[in-house]
Amino acid sequence: MNNFIAGYLPLFDIYLIHLGLAFSQYIVLRAGVFSLATAAFAGIGAYTAGIFAVSLGLHPAIGLLAGTLTGMGAAIVLSIPLARLQGVYQAIATVAFIQICLSLNIYAEGLTGGAMGLNNIPKTIGTGTLFVFAALATYLIWAIERGRLGRAFNTIRQDEAVAASLGISITRHQMLAFAISGALAGLFGGLEAYHSYALDPNQFGFHLLITTLSYVILGGRNSVVGPLVGAAILIILPELARPLAENRMVIYGIMLIVVINYLPKGIADTAIDAVRARRLKNGGDGS
Amino acid sequence: MSTLKLTNLSKRFGGVVASEDVNIEVPAGKIIGLIGPNGAGKTTIINMITGMLAVSGGEIHVGDIDITHAPAHEICRAGLARTFQNIRLLGEATVLENVMIGFHRHETSATLAAMLGLPSAGRETVEIKERAQVMLKEFDLQDFADYPATGLSYGHQRKVEMARAMAAEPNFVLLDEPIAGMNNVESDALAEVFQRLASAGKGVLLIEHNVRFVAKMCSYVYVLDGGRLISQGTPDHVLSDPAVISAYLGDQQYA
Amino acid sequence: MLVQQLLNGLVVSGVYALFSLGFTLVFGIQRILNLAHGAIFMTGAMVSYYVVKSGMPLWLGFILAIIASGLLSVLVEIICFRRLRKTGDEEFGGIISSIGAGLVIMTIAQQVSGTQVLRFPFETFPVVIFKFWGLRVSMLQFFMAGAAIVMVLLLGYYVYKTAFGRRIRAVTDNEAAAMLMGINPNFVYSQTYFIAGALAGAAGVLVGLAFNSITFLMGEPYLMFAFAIIILGGLGSIPGALLASLVFGMVQTLTIAYLPSGLTDTIIFSSLFLILLFRPHGILGKEDAGLLRGRR
Repeated sequence: MNNFIAGYLPLFDIYLIHLGLAFSQYIVLRAGVFSLATAAFAGIGAYTAGIFAVSLGLHPAIGLLAGTLTGMGAAIVLSIPLARLQGVYQAIATVAFIQICLSLNIYAEGLTGGAMGLNNIPKTIGTGTLFVFAALATYLIWAIERGRLGRAFNTIRQDEAVAASLGISITRHQMLAFAISGALAGLFGGLEAYHSYALDPNQFGFHLLITTLSYVILGGRNSVVGPLVGAAILIILPELARPLAENRMVIYGIMLIVVINYLPKGIADTAIDAVRARRLKNGGDGS
Repeated sequence: MSTLKLTNLSKRFGGVVASEDVNIEVPAGKIIGLIGPNGAGKTTIINMITGMLAVSGGEIHVGDIDITHAPAHEICRAGLARTFQNIRLLGEATVLENVMIGFHRHETSATLAAMLGLPSAGRETVEIKERAQVMLKEFDLQDFADYPATGLSYGHQRKVEMARAMAAEPNFVLLDEPIAGMNNVESDALAEVFQRLASAGKGVLLIEHNVRFVAKMCSYVYVLDGGRLISQGTPDHVLSDPAVISAYLGDQQYA
Repeated sequence: MLVQQLLNGLVVSGVYALFSLGFTLVFGIQRILNLAHGAIFMTGAMVSYYVVKSGMPLWLGFILAIIASGLLSVLVEIICFRRLRKTGDEEFGGIISSIGAGLVIMTIAQQVSGTQVLRFPFETFPVVIFKFWGLRVSMLQFFMAGAAIVMVLLLGYYVYKTAFGRRIRAVTDNEAAAMLMGINPNFVYSQTYFIAGALAGAAGVLVGLAFNSITFLMGEPYLMFAFAIIILGGLGSIPGALLASLVFGMVQTLTIAYLPSGLTDTIIFSSLFLILLFRPHGILGKEDAGLLRGRR
């Protein structure tokens, strides 16, 4: 039994780290910001944490804090120009940002190890720590959802004119969403650094963008449960059957097409809506 | 008691003049009408007041506060609320949630507290929920609280929108064609709501097509055509003004 | 030597133009950013390779590649975008859906090619170099530039001078009204996607010949580049895309020639970013295209 569980621990670790990234992607979309930059912020946080440990020899806690702050800082800086753009243009700008970070990373060999990556990062984070952080992130997102910020984000996303007419400052709230997104991505990027001995610049490119986005699309963009479910399915499913793992990219691709066309809200949200609708119907009949 | 005052308000889009030299006063406790044929520029005026459109010339004051160039989200804090011509309710939210957002202006919990789900923020959410439910009751909508807002009938959706606007506790309310598409029964019900607003001391600017309704509700009416004011006065005066009649009906003689 | 690089840049611009025109055309008519476009480009290259490898002449490979890419593009439209247009979610959903399509196409290509780098058999395209005025230009470069120019002219003629072009503009302007006038919008869209795909496929063949290295991932850098190009030119603007292809083709060639390597990408994408910052509608796009509505 122990071996069975131990065999799956690395998988669980991956889930926990990617859950944080999924939440980072989730919160910006929630506020109506079409940002795909989570991968870039994760890279910034990861490399900051890695460099702090390898070149500066600092305690992982400091490295993690640094990673979180740099991720958040980058996000806030990015949010300023992005505030003036809409929809597709925001998306393109964030993709450009990922590319810029990627090429700068490879170019700054002295600092980051360039294309060879950053190696020999002491592994100081285990499953337990990851679980704690993932749980905290989940709590954070859940608390935001239930409260004033979640309501404001929701309103901005659905109708900016209405949000403004009710006194909600769109720029302030979107910048806040960006900051939270950047902080989460930076933190979990740092956790990844301290968990996997080495970093490669290509880890934080288009591929990570696609996977992070997929978790949220598949699971749902409208409730905390969404990323939890989406990441679980996409990480665990390929492990259940060999053929699934080998054809991972095709399955992701097909899943994206099918879900966005036929189940646009994602699995978790569609289920939640259905439950709610049924409850209304039954409640109506009962009273 | 303050007044919402538009002074020489103008709006130009490139070479096109959408509004010119519009002077309107909405005193507290009164219902003021703004009428005019389609395309006269009524919604442009509201959009300028609420900061959604930049003002090309002139000024807008609420009492002593100059809101001419204030950004849209600060207009609410100046005590103005508006409803939209095409009822913009949040499609993904329930009726209750829609009204809860109206209370945003009054939420004072710190951002950090809201983010971390601290008890102070939690209490505020509960409080807002209760206030929203009270508001729904006032509009006789309490049975619909958990329904998706866009699933309601047109008349009910209008009421939800009004409830949301009232939640912000404005001093002035801008109503953009609130009874469009309603029959007399429904519009009379809303008329009562508007009267209550005025009696509560709020200033109401009512933009409407339905001239009979405007005549019934308003103490003073402004008439807009082609972006300019062509007449103003009591409903009786305005409705018998030949300039107004020809603007609406052309220059034909109307038996 | 500078003039040599400028010439090289011209040829590169031609290829970018072929790629980006289709990309911007699709966005112009449907506001969909088709991220599978890179995979379609790659498909053109692969089809031409397999045709030539099986012993058939290059010109046949070229034609088959163009047709195959065009058809693939239409297929993507039908499967991935048609439904989204009905629900009105094309801007966001289109990006997601097209990412999915790209993944599928690339994985299939990966399997078919065995994740190998494919190279055309020697002398598939005759290696002839012209030397004049101290410059070296290969016959292939002439062909590439020539093919690009011809196809762009054909596209221009088709879109601006024929009835089809009018129909595209009608449908883009107001789909419902166009339907009332007897135009079948779906047919118009499919034709547009075919053209876009065909152009990309042609570009793919040319690039495959030029670098003699075809992989399932070869389209991705071009896709990223196309972002920069169509933003600079203005989303949806054909003349804009042409102009921007010229600019970026030159910039890329010159920076690779004269600046330390690795800086090229940074420069290109930083330029893209700056453009989005200060002039999101690019050179020839519509004003306010990129900015938020209802803001001051």
